[in-house]
Amino acid sequence: MNATACYFVTGMEQENGEIARGLRRRDADLLDRLIEQYQHRLLRYLIYLAGNRETAEDLFQETWLRVLERGGQYDGKHNFSTWLFAVARNLTIDVLRKKKPVSLDTAGTEGAEAWDIPATGQASAFDLVAEQAQSERVTRALYGIPSEYREALVLRFHEELSLNEIAAITRVPLGTVKSRIYRGLNILMPRLKGAGE
Amino acid sequence: MTQDSHEQAREWIASAGVEGLAGLQQAWLRSHLEGCPSCREYAEAAEQLVRSLRAVPVAADRFLVRRTQLRVRARARELRQRRERFALVILSCALVAISSALSTTLVWQGFEWLGRWTQLPNPVWQVGFVLFWIAPTIAASVLFLAHGTHLSGINRSSRG
Repeated sequence: MNATACYFVTGMEQENGEIARGLRRRDADLLDRLIEQYQHRLLRYLIYLAGNRETAEDLFQETWLRVLERGGQYDGKHNFSTWLFAVARNLTIDVLRKKKPVSLDTAGTEGAEAWDIPATGQASAFDLVAEQAQSERVTRALYGIPSEYREALVLRFHEELSLNEIAAITRVPLGTVKSRIYRGLNILMPRLKGAGE
Repeated sequence: MTQDSHEQAREWIASAGVEGLAGLQQAWLRSHLEGCPSCREYAEAAEQLVRSLRAVPVAADRFLVRRTQLRVRARARELRQRRERFALVILSCALVAISSALSTTLVWQGFEWLGRWTQLPNPVWQVGFVLFWIAPTIAASVLFLAHGTHLSGINRSSRG
């Protein structure tokens, strides 16, 4: 490992350790900061997982309450985001099971149109419309694939998590993660052929 | 070109977007794509797809964030108060246990003396001692139970 990488890894470990200590103390200021920091990533993941924004927003709040209550379980050895996503995932499965006797597999086939996707950055009206249309196409296509593939694709390409982190969150072997991503891409590709053109 | 080589190429195209490729694999794939329009089209579609996936914007609104922060703070306060109450109960239990251990003999002797003085048979003052000893516990249990029922009623009504 070179010096820069070593410095980066040590810094990450320190940060994770501080988060772990803060969570054990139930430090409300730390939680405020974490909520700010992970707001978009967590909500995006939950929207794809739960299938609609309303449920995702409820889950977003419940996830942070669970982080507060079970913060002592975070050991600081892994990335906080990996643990956070795992907490969110388990909570989503619990909630969806209570709502209807189904697993994550059937989630997310409704409410794709109910998205409120704000445009970001400075762009022309045409760009914004084109961007939104493209986003809607991708979103619709994503909702059309089985949820385990959708989840793997979102974690890999939206959240930029490593394959090992995805395996830790979804609790499946690395090979399964890879095959879910490949299959997800293969199913999506014909559906999005020409997207963005 | 064989069917296998196309399959291999498509597998590595997917790998390139997911986990990256080794140098030799990259070189083989590059040369294959140069001579194969269908795999090239597949590679472009895959690249486009990954770009599209990365470009979908989703943002949390600030009210959701603020609401969450307030709920988390309120819950943290509630948990802290509960922990403090629990610590108080533990402390009280410890004090009661210690004082009981110290005073049992004295109270027993007191009841014995009272029994003799009032000329009561032994079983009577002994039952009196037992009742005297467990009466506070029973009273406290009844109070705790009533308090619990009352609290759960409040919780239910506030949720409703």
